[in-house]
Amino acid sequence: MTVEDIAFHLADLVANAVRAGARRVEIELVRDGPEFRVRVADDGAGMDGDAQRRAGDPFFTTKPGRRIGLGLALFRQTAEALGGVFRVVSQPGVGTRVEARFPWNHPDRPPLGDLVATLVPLLATSPVEFRLVFRDDRTTWSLDTREIRQTLGDVPLSHPEVFSFLERELRRALVELGWKEEG
Amino acid sequence: MKLEELRKIRERAEAEMRLRAGQARVKIVVGMGTSGIAAGARQVLRAILDEVAQRNLRDVLVTQTGEKGLSAKEPLVEVHEPGRIAIYGDVDEATARRIVVEHVLHGRVLEDHLVELREVSP
Repeated sequence: MTVEDIAFHLADLVANAVRAGARRVEIELVRDGPEFRVRVADDGAGMDGDAQRRAGDPFFTTKPGRRIGLGLALFRQTAEALGGVFRVVSQPGVGTRVEARFPWNHPDRPPLGDLVATLVPLLATSPVEFRLVFRDDRTTWSLDTREIRQTLGDVPLSHPEVFSFLERELRRALVELGWKEEG
Repeated sequence: MKLEELRKIRERAEAEMRLRAGQARVKIVVGMGTSGIAAGARQVLRAILDEVAQRNLRDVLVTQTGEKGLSAKEPLVEVHEPGRIAIYGDVDEATARRIVVEHVLHGRVLEDHLVELREVSP
């Protein structure tokens, strides 16, 4: 598995959101004509203007005890190397939105990676609620863990049967969207 | 999404939970910070959930945490039991499965990947 595939970046952004105390994370993957868009929005602590300007700088981190926060920097580098756009919009006390846009058909575009094996364990074990939206010109698929939790009552998302259900649903979505070839 | 399918899962799982009526005996925590993820923590988390499901270990809770300052030894996995916490480093998929089988199921600490074994008041 490629380390810096899209799935890697998503896992990293989710880790950032969890660390920022988010209670809700929205992940949107959209193929819009020639463009692919990855957006992760959280309602965590957010960053002030200074921290935002430096987000994506490989030598900056607010995490105590760690000098290098590489995740965002790697993603910025990837998006910009493809001639794409990378944006971080954040407000203290409100949350952070990270968006990368780049051409789907660029020969150097990183593969999606194994989205099922990456996202389902995160959905099942993270202390946040997720909304996932996968979309292209024809198909929109979405999943909301709040809705799932309401249906499940006290049964956890990590319950084996629920876990398999989530894997099946995600796999089905990727097949419908034709994003499966890179799994 | 097929919510009807989830409702059926809920019915089965709740019946099963009533039979057990117990709390989690063991908590497994996987470090999911940037460096952990880059070092393979996703695959480790997946392997642990899979092994726990396959062996039907219903008193085991699997969860995750951010970075802990031991980046050189990532992926890191902690096993919390009453009275002790074991921290394993450089965990790959195969080691993750061994942690579930040898440690969680049979109570034998894996010496080869052990970073720290800490006594705690139960």
